[in-house]
Amino acid sequence: MTAIAPRREDDALQLKPRRDPFLIILWIILVTFALVWIAPVVLIAFTALKSNAEVMATSAFTPPQEIAWNNFSGAWARGNFETTFKNSVIITVIKVPLGLMFSAMAAYALARIRLRFGKLLLLFFLFGAMIPFQVMLAPIFTLLNGFGLIDTYPGVILPYLAFGVPYQVFILHGFFKAVPKELSEAALIDGASHVTVFRRIFLPISLPVLAALLILDFVSTWNEFAMALVLLQDRHMWTLPLGLMSFQGQFSTDYGQLNAAIAMTVFPAVLVYMIFQRYFVSGLTSGAVKG
Amino acid sequence: MFNSKFMQSSRTQAVLLIGPALAVYATFAIWPMIEVVFLSFQQWNGLDPHREWVGLANYQYILTNDAVFWVALRNTITWTILAVIFPPTIGLLLALGLNQQLFGRVPMRAIYYLPVIIAPIAVATIWRWMYDPFFGLFNQVLTSLSLQSLISDWLGDREIALYSMFVAYTWQYVGFSMVLFLAGLQSVDRSLVEAARIDGASRWQVFRHVTLPALRVTLAIVLVLSTISSLKAFDIVYGMTGGGPAQSTQMLALWAFMQSMQIFDFGRGSAISVILLLVTLTIVVPYLRWSQRDEGAGE
Repeated sequence: MTAIAPRREDDALQLKPRRDPFLIILWIILVTFALVWIAPVVLIAFTALKSNAEVMATSAFTPPQEIAWNNFSGAWARGNFETTFKNSVIITVIKVPLGLMFSAMAAYALARIRLRFGKLLLLFFLFGAMIPFQVMLAPIFTLLNGFGLIDTYPGVILPYLAFGVPYQVFILHGFFKAVPKELSEAALIDGASHVTVFRRIFLPISLPVLAALLILDFVSTWNEFAMALVLLQDRHMWTLPLGLMSFQGQFSTDYGQLNAAIAMTVFPAVLVYMIFQRYFVSGLTSGAVKG
Repeated sequence: MFNSKFMQSSRTQAVLLIGPALAVYATFAIWPMIEVVFLSFQQWNGLDPHREWVGLANYQYILTNDAVFWVALRNTITWTILAVIFPPTIGLLLALGLNQQLFGRVPMRAIYYLPVIIAPIAVATIWRWMYDPFFGLFNQVLTSLSLQSLISDWLGDREIALYSMFVAYTWQYVGFSMVLFLAGLQSVDRSLVEAARIDGASRWQVFRHVTLPALRVTLAIVLVLSTISSLKAFDIVYGMTGGGPAQSTQMLALWAFMQSMQIFDFGRGSAISVILLLVTLTIVVPYLRWSQRDEGAGE
């Protein structure tokens, strides 16, 4: 509650914001809280690098004395990571760019081309962004089973696309709608097609938003569990989250390897976040939360 | 304004641009939603070519004979209320704090956001281990603080398992609300804040009369997104307790899945899905109407 605590200030403090006691207290609280928040992550990192004997002998937040890299190779081999990692990469690398492209195309058309049912279509897409589709795992299974796509890459990529599109269309529509008319009108009057205007003008200016959406979509695709659980039954088709779940079931007492498995599952998403994160807040601002 | 040939071609282009997204969305997202309603009136094991139409029998069974359904419904409601109160409130406070000119605010934002990126199933694994009654972090810390009386079987005790799970959920999602609020705070007029401060307004007054009104839209988005993501709590429950002990942490989304995919009763599973869907719609539809009206007023 400190951040919004009622407090009178005199003008002298205004001129010297660095010595403002309010900000110092606030800073201490935020740092303490941040240490608590990151503790589980530190715990994973430390444990992943400790041998089992060391896990038992030392306390949780003691840094590893001898780095046990073999936890990673051990977990990689026992947890079938070669297969699950490959499947996760294939699915994510196809799904994320394809989904962003579909969404950007549709969002452009809905925002910049006059259509009789444009508003209705937008609402139709928006509706999808609000529905928790995890609720409908059974009919999704039935549908994909009908197409003979259980245990195939298209069998997960297609529903992933379907559930990613609504939110992205919603965000990109908000962004495209706010682009000044002058930017596209001259080109259109000169005879350029909408496809050209979209590619040459709108795609380049929307890169920050696309980067923000890329992070969100990469993370949610990489981490998706419920649908993969239903649609990928053959363990050769499993993705990382499924592999991790099974690893936990089999080797839950091998703490070093279990934490190495967690770290390997999580790491790629963290890496992508760190690469694109400088676009993140600015990208979200321009689309999602205008106003 | 435009000649008809141009309109014609721009309509064709619109179809080409919208087509792929619409086709995949309608087939793989909207159709299952319609299908689930059909399934809920049928009796089917998922394999048999014959599906028998049983009318409202599935609903009748769930509402009158399925004790777990009521537990799951109560848990889902409790969970949703908690999820709408705690992560957004903490997220807002963090965003307000980290919006100040503070040393190290960028790394701190990254720390609070980090759990959002971690797979929910990995969060479940991590917390399950930290909650372990014998080797877990929590009981170790309590022992070292000589607070043995507080030691619990965090996920094994029916009274507290749901709340233990919710703590893990909060750890994961606070950063999500925080980022949305941070984005919303960028739209707060800085000169207005400064003017108010110079005129002698307290921090609370500035928050109440300048910042909060500017966050109105963000607040609505955060609350709706929090509600929706809480209704679909699945991974974390599946990974941490599987609905146990003795179904005490069962939730509607997981129970629907178990009925269909583990007990192979697609009819009852779908009926649970439809009920959850109706609950969602009672929240989503008013929000959509509100946001559309808001947009109309803005134009």
